[in-house]
Amino acid sequence: MKAARWMGASVASMWALTACVTINVYFPAAEAKEAAKEFVEKVIGPDAVPATPAEPTPAKKPDGSGGGMASLLQRIDPLSLIGIGSAYAQGQPDISIKTPAIQAIQSRMASRFDASLRKGFDSGALGFGKDGLIVLREPGALELKDRAGMQAAVADDNRDRKAVYHEVAVANGHPEWEAQIRDVFAKQWVDSARGGWWYQDKGGAWKQK
Amino acid sequence: MTHRTRLLAVLWLSALAGTAQARTLEADIAKVRLPVATLDTVHVQLDWADNAPQGTLTLHAGRVQAPDLGIDARNLAWTCPLQRIDAMGWACDGTLRSAGKSFRLAIAFDEAGLRGTFRQGKATLAMQRATATPDFTRVDLTRVPIAWAQGLLAQSWADARLQGGTLDGRVDVDAPSKGPLRLSGRLNAAGVKLETTDATIASDKLAGTFDFDYRIFDAPHPSLLTLEGTLHGGEFLAGSVYVSLPDTPIGLSVRGEHREGAGWSLPRIAWTDGNALRVGGSAGFDEAATLRTLDLTLHSDDLSPLRDRYLSGLLGIAGLSDLTLTGALDAQVRVDGGEIHAFDFVPHHVDIVEPTDNRFAFHGLDGTLRFSRAAPIDSALQWHGGVLYGLEFGAASLPMRSEAGAIALTRAVSVPLLGGELRFDNMTLRPPADGKGADAVFGLSVDHLDIAKLATAFGWPAFRGQLTGHLPRAHYANERLDFEGGLSMAMFDGRVDVSSLSMERPFGVAPTLAADLHIDDLDLLALTEVFDFGSITGRLDGRIDQLRLVDWSVTAFDAELHTDPKRGVHQRISQRAVQSISSVGGSSLMTSLQGQLIGLFNDFGYKRIGIGCRLANEVCDMRGLHSGSDTFTIVEGAGLPRLTVIGHNRLVDWPTFVERLSAVGSGEVSPVVE
Repeated sequence: MKAARWMGASVASMWALTACVTINVYFPAAEAKEAAKEFVEKVIGPDAVPATPAEPTPAKKPDGSGGGMASLLQRIDPLSLIGIGSAYAQGQPDISIKTPAIQAIQSRMASRFDASLRKGFDSGALGFGKDGLIVLREPGALELKDRAGMQAAVADDNRDRKAVYHEVAVANGHPEWEAQIRDVFAKQWVDSARGGWWYQDKGGAWKQK
Repeated sequence: MTHRTRLLAVLWLSALAGTAQARTLEADIAKVRLPVATLDTVHVQLDWADNAPQGTLTLHAGRVQAPDLGIDARNLAWTCPLQRIDAMGWACDGTLRSAGKSFRLAIAFDEAGLRGTFRQGKATLAMQRATATPDFTRVDLTRVPIAWAQGLLAQSWADARLQGGTLDGRVDVDAPSKGPLRLSGRLNAAGVKLETTDATIASDKLAGTFDFDYRIFDAPHPSLLTLEGTLHGGEFLAGSVYVSLPDTPIGLSVRGEHREGAGWSLPRIAWTDGNALRVGGSAGFDEAATLRTLDLTLHSDDLSPLRDRYLSGLLGIAGLSDLTLTGALDAQVRVDGGEIHAFDFVPHHVDIVEPTDNRFAFHGLDGTLRFSRAAPIDSALQWHGGVLYGLEFGAASLPMRSEAGAIALTRAVSVPLLGGELRFDNMTLRPPADGKGADAVFGLSVDHLDIAKLATAFGWPAFRGQLTGHLPRAHYANERLDFEGGLSMAMFDGRVDVSSLSMERPFGVAPTLAADLHIDDLDLLALTEVFDFGSITGRLDGRIDQLRLVDWSVTAFDAELHTDPKRGVHQRISQRAVQSISSVGGSSLMTSLQGQLIGLFNDFGYKRIGIGCRLANEVCDMRGLHSGSDTFTIVEGAGLPRLTVIGHNRLVDWPTFVERLSAVGSGEVSPVVE
């Protein structure tokens, strides 16, 4: 009953002469979180200390768990040209991040994270801002020679992040969801952060995970 | 000798005088005032054994303050062997301990004057003061850690922290009872590492030699600094500006004034970096060391080293790290209230190239580019060529006028592009200011651009045709470019009208292009030939709405294409085209013939062809002339043999679809015919 979860159709009022039907489309928060989690973990890399031992067999996701790229991938058999009809319910909004542009940005962000940003988080120089962007919060934690490069990497990454939040909203047919998607991602960066990394709470104060 | 130094001498002499009668003498003094220092809670003790050649002096000061020198130390203890050096003189050379550190302090005075040496490891501070000139002290520095000057620096720049580096040279301290405290001399600095508490300004490995003269007046008179010298390498960062100094010497000359409670003002700055950059002018900072006013004249004979030396920080933040600059430049910049008030750039044969993705390039920039926030000023800029996203454009000349913070073209400007031209009918550009980003409004006419050249540049199939149109108003703001009006492409003997054109992040990350396309009367034969699809004769109409390209690849559209029967136009579809449609669309053939007999016919008549696709999230929802729950009719035959092509499963994975389409184009796919 996924549809019922986020789309409510209700007859608002019915009068003798007029009938008015209101359809509310709610932001699919659970699907967005799933998609954000997948994106973020691909960028940051798998957690060094997973909470539960990793399953050796992939694609063991329970059915009906919602949206996200994995579930969409599951539903599409890329080898089959046309055999996807039954699995993909047309007209149901989903949060998908499987567009080439978003994936290109994702892989660029992942290599940038490994090349420079991870060091910044480990040293405490960087933190995850409450707006889903990266903040150079403690430049003094970096050697001067690295600082200008880190500033550039942060600027590049924030440009990529803004593009991702916008494109995810647009790709899912709801540009107006951008702010909510950004919020979901902002939470996810913090949730996926390693212990010791810094993040900004809702009030803007810096905390260490 | 001033009364203050006399007090110290009396103190010492009284201590010495006591030695004749007693082995130990002690004195407690609440406060001792010296020309530049004050000692509090002083305890002096002298032990002198009978007939011994020397005694042991122990001096303890609860606090030593020299505010002009930025010294404030607590609990100093100095122990040394006191001995006569001549009839009038005394010397004492021993260990000074303060805050857990130990130093070597030697003091000697005689009729001629006072000498002191302060050592720690290889660092030596040697001072001397002649009795005849009691206000004048000379200090010689040898490998002195620059951190010792922390207190002195903190008076004029409270946030700065000296973290490393050494000083060699001489400082003369003139501390007259009336007039300013004057510090002057020549210092040779090496490996200077500095950082402000908020880390916005920092330096490392800075080296240089400076003659300086710093006069500290009592308020309200400003303190004055003059500094002349040479920098020899190192790096510094101020906000986003990162400067990596070359090994070649850089001349620096600064005159500064500092008022209590206000920032530094630098009425004169001169920076000479060979033929790469010469800068002269003035600057003013507020108390938080934020730039408020700046008036600079810059000249460069060779711009190429500037990126690595001065611009890498700013370019990195703008995402233009690989930008290259060549040529020469004269420029003037005026900043007022922290905002750019006016600038004047005069490039001389300048080339600007952003190689990443061939994003943009300007070659042979000459003329002037002037900006004014106030009175109008005219300028004219020319280039002899350039590149925008791999598309080469030709020479142009831009006459401009700037006033009230905007730059506008004063007449229409044509830029040759793709065999035709782009004409900017007007343009008004506002550089970023007052916290707002750049904003541009322009009218654009597109005249006879060669679509074949466009297709070649972007690696598209070999489309041919011409692109013409008028976009009366385009507006760029917040990284978004919206066009009013539309373009028309004359191609394949018909036309494609482009409307609702907009771009996001046109020069940024993953640029997007959105448009609605209206397709009218394309010659299908010419079109199918381009795609090497087999041939179809007839005319094609349709629309591609809400087309969206991200990073130049298609991510969404709602398209519907159908044939348009015309009197006198044959509607035939070749056997190859049928096979292409079938293999791409995953269709099965419903034909009155046996499947294998299809090969006997070269082509078939058709009544209608229609296909539609709504692409979203990499899935194409296909439809045809008429669609069933999971089928759609693509080709409706006419005559005999009557051929009908029906697609099954309406949802198609878009990447696979594109893969199939390109495979058909290269003849790699043969369909399965049922």
